[in-house]
Amino acid sequence: MKFLRNFLDQQEKHFVKGGKFEPYYPVYEAIDTFLFTSGKVTQRDSHVRDALDLKRMMMTVVVALLPAVYMALYNTGLQANLALAKLGLAGVEGWRGSILSALGVGLNPASICDNIIHGTLYFLPAYIVTIAVGGFWEAIFATVRKHEINEGFLVTSLLFPLILPPNMPFWQMALGISFGVVIGKEIFGGVGMNILNPALTGRAFLFFAYPAQISGDAVWVAVDGFSRATPLAQFADPTMTIGVSWYDAFMGLIPGSMGETSALACLIGAFVLVVSGIGSWRIMLSVLVGMVALSSLLNVIGSESNPMFQMTPAWHFVLGGFAFGAIFMATDPVSAAMTESGKFVYGLLIGCLVVLVRVINPAFPEGMMLAILFGNAFAPIIDKIFIKRNIKRRLLRNA
Amino acid sequence: MSKYRKVIADPIFHNNPIALQILGICSALAVTTKLETAAVMSLAVIAVTAFSNLAVSIIRNHIPSSIRILVEMTIIASLVIIADQIIKAYAYDISKQLSIFVGLIITNCIVMGRAEAFALKNPPLVSFLDGIGNGVGYSLILLLVGFFRELLGSGKVFGISVLALNTEGGWYVPNGLFLLSPSAFFLIGFIIWALRAWYPEQVERD
Amino acid sequence: MPDDSIKKTVGVALGVCLVCSVLVSTAAVTLNAIQEENKKLDKIKNILLAGGLLSDGMEDIKAAYDEKVEPTLIELATGAIVSEENYDKVLNIEHFDLKAICSHSDYSDAISPKKDIANIKRRPRYMLVYSVKENGQTDKVILPVFGKGLWSTLFGFVALNKDMKTVAGFTFYEHGETPGLGGEIDNPRWKKMWLGKAAFNDAGEVVIEVLKGKVDNAGANANHQIDGLSGATLTTRGVDQLVKYWLSSDGYGPFLNKLRQEG
Repeated sequence: MKFLRNFLDQQEKHFVKGGKFEPYYPVYEAIDTFLFTSGKVTQRDSHVRDALDLKRMMMTVVVALLPAVYMALYNTGLQANLALAKLGLAGVEGWRGSILSALGVGLNPASICDNIIHGTLYFLPAYIVTIAVGGFWEAIFATVRKHEINEGFLVTSLLFPLILPPNMPFWQMALGISFGVVIGKEIFGGVGMNILNPALTGRAFLFFAYPAQISGDAVWVAVDGFSRATPLAQFADPTMTIGVSWYDAFMGLIPGSMGETSALACLIGAFVLVVSGIGSWRIMLSVLVGMVALSSLLNVIGSESNPMFQMTPAWHFVLGGFAFGAIFMATDPVSAAMTESGKFVYGLLIGCLVVLVRVINPAFPEGMMLAILFGNAFAPIIDKIFIKRNIKRRLLRNA
Repeated sequence: MSKYRKVIADPIFHNNPIALQILGICSALAVTTKLETAAVMSLAVIAVTAFSNLAVSIIRNHIPSSIRILVEMTIIASLVIIADQIIKAYAYDISKQLSIFVGLIITNCIVMGRAEAFALKNPPLVSFLDGIGNGVGYSLILLLVGFFRELLGSGKVFGISVLALNTEGGWYVPNGLFLLSPSAFFLIGFIIWALRAWYPEQVERD
Repeated sequence: MPDDSIKKTVGVALGVCLVCSVLVSTAAVTLNAIQEENKKLDKIKNILLAGGLLSDGMEDIKAAYDEKVEPTLIELATGAIVSEENYDKVLNIEHFDLKAICSHSDYSDAISPKKDIANIKRRPRYMLVYSVKENGQTDKVILPVFGKGLWSTLFGFVALNKDMKTVAGFTFYEHGETPGLGGEIDNPRWKKMWLGKAAFNDAGEVVIEVLKGKVDNAGANANHQIDGLSGATLTTRGVDQLVKYWLSSDGYGPFLNKLRQEG
């Protein structure tokens, strides 16, 4: 540790004003504060210091995400191992197969360890690609704009692989995170200025650019040539039966995007976020209320030709990205509504929209991503309306 | 001479109708999935703006101001119909793809805007050149957007395969986003970004 | 500034209108013949394409069409050819307009939702079909088909070989499906998969089907199955249903039976 500290201190002179690498100060600063607590202390008059700085806040989100990451590792491996067993394959092709056999790890779907290691071989590379490529863009913009690299990217880079299908080609992930970081965030001026959630923007780009790799039946299980529809797609298709139980879906033992399948893991995360006061319970609750209200209404209306009308709120809750989106995506403090009453409207809007897209729109079985992005786009207007109303009320009160 | 050159060159970079005035976006989204359609549309718009400017300018001293807009609309609409008829006759395949968007040149703010803002106050030759300049400014953006959309969306340039598609045994996986209209928004955004980085005086201050 | 007197205003308005109307009508009248020709050529091209008769760099499309293709107006329910004395303004080969016929209650019938697997709501009573002649013999028939995909109604042609069983060509000429997904119905590689597939089995039942996913080429059913389009479940299903509908006894069944009996 000491060696690292000394090394960094020695290098600092090159990066401060007048040093030969002055433009790259943000890169140095990011590495330094990532490894060590910031050495800066206030030297003049004291001011209020809250233990909750941006770094701590982001770390809490990362902690809240850990159950989902665990399920991503476990379930990705489980689905792959189940598929291999079903196809009667004894080994995995490619570099993953070589690593697995070198480690002497089996492919037994009943073994938690086997599943997690197999799943790690899918999640970890995705995460590394995201960090490397996204970090590259962050560093470029930080250098050009002469500010420090922001910790928000830690969360974005963890969220992004969690909402992708396991077998997505790496170059597509790289393009997706590039689009998310540059178009979703940096062109608006960087962290805090963005309208849309960067991770979801990246996913939306991939969804429309390369639909074959992120929709349909063949992509949700990490075994080539094995297709298994997501339960949401099974609901949408009258000729298919639902192949999973509600309990499995709640636990997350179903095919889907890597980190989205388990409602339970998301609920644990929600607990952490709400207790620590970082995630807004108003948004989570109102997304849920909006979804329950509209899906119950559609249940009552019913439809002969569209089986999605019969999908109950309980199923809506556990399938697709609903729980994950409502808890981790919709609550993103930058892109969500900021006024307290605006949060309710914003949440209701998302909750209703997700049901609308899932049920009424024939093309997309899943609607959480589009609903949240749509909610993001409307958040500033919602805020503006509530702020104006407040101003008016106060004016009246004091008139 | 330099006055004429300025009239033509100005709307291309310094005062581009799409990039600076943000006019005519609708057709820029709709007809740019292929370069071919973008090129034909561009020619139609250049012709219509140039000749409507010319016609309006010729009779500018005789148009009563009470029916000014009506006269301009009549002239523009007639020119657009003629352009549409010619495209239907000599480029049928493209006219099928352009569908109603040639007709919608009538509503393209650039044409009307130049007639109102320029041709009513200037002599015919300059007005004609101004129409060409603005048409070319519009076309430039259209062609740029069309080039990237066709190249990235279907791996082709003017219908000729440049990137071998994976669906046809090649290596390039076409980017479906570029076949959808929102991609034109992104591209126009990038072009505006680039232009304003080049000419910082175009940045609006608020 | 010009004066705004009523006389001047009316005069200028009339003058502008006169000049413009002369220009517009001249353009419309002189170019009309070429435009009509273009429309016809476009249609012919699609028919030739479906029949596999169109080759690259073909000079005279019209001559090839006139030489080989013969349009016939048939009554769907019986499969009988409509004779020329029964032609009227709507019902004739020259001006046959599928969409107009489908919306006209004298020439089409509503289909009950149960039978309407192609999702077209109304079935035309008459159809314009094309036969391809080779040395005076019918070599192929080209049948117009249509049905709902995901976003739009797909219009196309299915061509059958002279055995009236195997597919000789398949193409869509109008649709509004998502580019890259359902829009892949225009992909030449996919269209090629249809060639030679059996539309009917020996008992004359419609067996052709578009699968959801890939065809097992070693399987017993591979000769009448076509790969689905990946990521386009509903377009794939739409194509499957519309082909089944139009080849069934509700569609061209009676007509095809007649042809088979004749020979």
